[in-house]
Amino acid sequence: MGSSKPKSKTLDLTSAPDEVLVGAAREGDMAAFEELVARHRDKVYARAFSILRKEEDALDLSQDAWVKAWQRLGQFQGDASFLTWMTRITINLSLDRLRRRQRLQAESIEQMDEEFGGVERHLPVVTPNPTEGLERAELRARIDQAMAQLTWAHRTVLILHELEGLEYKEVAKRMGCSTGTIMSRLFYARRRLAALLQELKAERSRDSQS
Amino acid sequence: MTHKAELNLQAWLDGELSVRAAAEVERLVAADPAARDLVAELRWTRQVLRAGEVERPVPESREFYWSKIERAIRAAEATAPAPRPSVWWRWMRLVVPIGAAAALAMFFTLPSLRVAPSVAEIENHLEDMGSFSFRSESEGMTVIWIASD
Repeated sequence: MGSSKPKSKTLDLTSAPDEVLVGAAREGDMAAFEELVARHRDKVYARAFSILRKEEDALDLSQDAWVKAWQRLGQFQGDASFLTWMTRITINLSLDRLRRRQRLQAESIEQMDEEFGGVERHLPVVTPNPTEGLERAELRARIDQAMAQLTWAHRTVLILHELEGLEYKEVAKRMGCSTGTIMSRLFYARRRLAALLQELKAERSRDSQS
Repeated sequence: MTHKAELNLQAWLDGELSVRAAAEVERLVAADPAARDLVAELRWTRQVLRAGEVERPVPESREFYWSKIERAIRAAEATAPAPRPSVWWRWMRLVVPIGAAAALAMFFTLPSLRVAPSVAEIENHLEDMGSFSFRSESEGMTVIWIASD
């Protein structure tokens, strides 16, 4: 791919739509590909970070994802947007990395709880919504803090279902388990997140009073 | 409420139930306050997650971030394995040595296949008798001349 003549000399990179840049990159135009990276790198990195929760890992993985994307540009069909396609590559690589990491660890009680419910089974229902009336920045900060406290399986199921909008069976396929397991994990992940957001609200109230 | 009922509530909220199963859940939600509270919690959890995803910019400059990607692409292209030979070529690589071995075996076991020496020999066995012989393996013949003087 890299040996073809770049088209970017005749292409206005900053104004060209993604599809045009993808077409040029497919023919070996590195400058066009660099423009795609510049446009979407924050979102790709943010998705890697949301799953891996470590800056260094997310940086490394997001760059791997771009390399893979370059090598697989021929497979991009254009059914979904380029960013959606890139995000899928990033998620798959992140899950592969997490699986490898998990294989190195012994089965834990925590992992069983993800499917069968641990403390989440006995959590009282959180009502009203503890994030009601929060400023957007504050809301985001609390969600980020709560997500960081979830197990990787709970966090991933929430990302795939709620943020990527994948159906149960699609989430199950990506996480390599049954639809029933995904339903259970998703349920307990949501319950745990609700409880964590309530705890955070209580902590903030105590801090502001003292 | 059973765990199965809880999962059904969630599936209803996520639009993953059949029309019939959804109607059953709707009846449960209408009749059971605990089910209503749980649905409310699941619903707002979903809403805040979708609204509150953190934006996280790459903590490196555009040039530095790209330079690592570009280097990795170039390195991968430089070390890319040679393209796999075609099916025909792989088939030929198997067949040619077997064929050659078979040909050799036939050559040594079937004398009729052996190529005869191309040079015919002329000998004078009995010089004093004035006789000559001509033998050609390729023609499969032997001729003897005897001087008649």
